[in-house]
Amino acid sequence: MGELDLKNLRIDYGARMIIRDFNLAVRNGEMMSLLGPSGAGKTTILKAIAGLLAPAAGDILIDGQSVRDVPPEKRDAVMVFQKPLLFPFMNVAQNIGFGLRMQGQPGREARRHIGAILALTQLEGLEHRKVHELSGGQQQRVALARALVLKPSVLLLDEPLSNLDANLRQRMRELIQTIQSETRMTMLFVTHDQSEALMISHRVALLLEGRLRQVGAPRELFYQPADPEVARFFGGRNFFQGHVRDGKLHSDLGVFPVGPQNGNGHVRTATIRPEDIRIAPRATGQSRGLRGRVVKTRFEGSSTRVVVACGANEVMVLTPEDAFRPGQEVEITVPPEKIRLFPGD
Amino acid sequence: MKKSSRRFFGSIVGATVGLPFLSLVLWSFAERWFYPALWPQAWGLRAWRYITSTAGFQVMTAIGHSVVVAAVTAAIAVVIAVPAGRALGQYDFKGKDLVSVLLTLPIIVPPLCVAMGLHLWFIRLGLAETYAGVIGVHLTFCLPYAIFVLWGVFANYNPDFEDQARSLGASRAVVMARVMLPMILPGISVAALFAFLLSWSQYLSTLIIGGGRVTTLPVLLFALMGSGDRPVAAAVSLVFVAPAFIALLFSARHLGNRSLAGVR
Ligand SMILES: Nc1ncnc2c1ncn2[C@@H]1O[C@H](COP(=O)(O)OP(=O)(O)OP(=O)(O)O)[C@@H](O)[C@H]1O
Ligand SMILES: [Mg+2]
Repeated sequence: MGELDLKNLRIDYGARMIIRDFNLAVRNGEMMSLLGPSGAGKTTILKAIAGLLAPAAGDILIDGQSVRDVPPEKRDAVMVFQKPLLFPFMNVAQNIGFGLRMQGQPGREARRHIGAILALTQLEGLEHRKVHELSGGQQQRVALARALVLKPSVLLLDEPLSNLDANLRQRMRELIQTIQSETRMTMLFVTHDQSEALMISHRVALLLEGRLRQVGAPRELFYQPADPEVARFFGGRNFFQGHVRDGKLHSDLGVFPVGPQNGNGHVRTATIRPEDIRIAPRATGQSRGLRGRVVKTRFEGSSTRVVVACGANEVMVLTPEDAFRPGQEVEITVPPEKIRLFPGD
Repeated sequence: MKKSSRRFFGSIVGATVGLPFLSLVLWSFAERWFYPALWPQAWGLRAWRYITSTAGFQVMTAIGHSVVVAAVTAAIAVVIAVPAGRALGQYDFKGKDLVSVLLTLPIIVPPLCVAMGLHLWFIRLGLAETYAGVIGVHLTFCLPYAIFVLWGVFANYNPDFEDQARSLGASRAVVMARVMLPMILPGISVAALFAFLLSWSQYLSTLIIGGGRVTTLPVLLFALMGSGDRPVAAAVSLVFVAPAFIALLFSARHLGNRSLAGVR
């Protein structure tokens, strides 16, 4: 079992409130990402769950039991820190066996578990290495193995990939995913990288400035962001306002059908993702697109970011073609079905 | 540095450290050595025979006293310096600057003044002319040194290691013994070594507080030097610097290689 329930959590550092009104339920066997920018309070939450920080208010439940009065060493939630933090005076096998020794497991049993985890984390043959003789990626895997070997109900991972280069990062991410689906261990995976969160997890919880903003499946957060700030975090750049009348949104960028359930006469905010806008050089003759002029472009390799001035608005477009230059007259088309209208307050 | 220049600097350092020793060694084996001879005119083992047989008991007792006093001083200094250094290196609190000034005071004030001042107090407390009193006065400067060493160690110490260990199932006490201690062991060795050698070389403060009753090796050494027998004084001096020499070799061998990288 491995259910994690955070109820109305508030965490302070001295007089500073870091986390407030935090509610999150992680299901048994789930891989949940806790996503947020640097300083949002992700590490703080993990430390509270691991018992290394006492929350100012609220409760933490593991498998339905409150653990507020349980010291960290007795909690069935193990945290892996951002840095590997391998004990320098122990070799790899001793590091991995640290938790087992704390549990008082007999040597033979422990060696069997360590052997299995070495295989799972692809560290075979390194068990007698000194810690400083390992590469960064190997150190990170030892840190992971050291926690995995304890088979905790909940594994708390604090940006375990952030110190690795792009290549290694992908391999390590796949390794964690494989281990998760093989062991069905409940994991709370902290990251500041939105694509990493979308790729690795069953569900994503987005934390902005100490508050939980949205929880849901990766596609849900990406395609149906709850508010403009969530959309902005996932790369949304084009926000515009319009009047809702007769099931249509009337805005500077055009009139879009938004369904009858949306209230009449209200000013509402909508967004369209840069990659959903189609852009073309201005054609002669009749067209139904919006006219605009390229303000600037940024080449990003497989795509190019183009900022287009359309009347009073600036629209950002992401296009696979590197065919636009500043000053050029263009035409953009906004597909109505890709418009995301935010719920009103 | 190139190998040749390293050898050059090495020999300069070796000469400055070694030459005074050489003259001590020569003196300890000299039977007769009068000015202006560059070399002793007669060699012999009289001095060594004297300090091992005639005065042997005296020398051995003095060594024993010195070892006990220095070891106990070093042990107490380290036991207090570890928590103190941790508090200073890991936490910010009001009055930290004041603590730092207070710690430097016994180091900059001459030991003579400290010993004189303490003497009156120690007489009242019944600590004068006792081992406890001598250890107490040695601690007044050994302890600040030890605290400064461990302050530095803990300033570079990453407490996340302890949090990680606790999350892996280690209790607070186990974390101290199995994680913190091994991590700061090099620092503890340096602090203990410092404290031991400082205490070992004390003469004036031992004499004032111990009142001649606590005869450590330096006290005996001065007595023998006063007698004007230079070969004997040289031999005792060599015995006196032996532990410092051993400590130097030990620290070069063990602390130099020991990586402090994990502490960060
Ligand atoms: N020991 C501390 N004392 C006071 N404030 C702290 C302490 N640790 C963290 N904070 C503050 O708490 C806030 C949240 O920090 P936290 O480390 O949880 O962020 P994070 O989301 O993990 O960021 P990152 O992605 O950079 O690791 C930050 O504003 C930080 O300055
Ligand atoms: Mg963090």
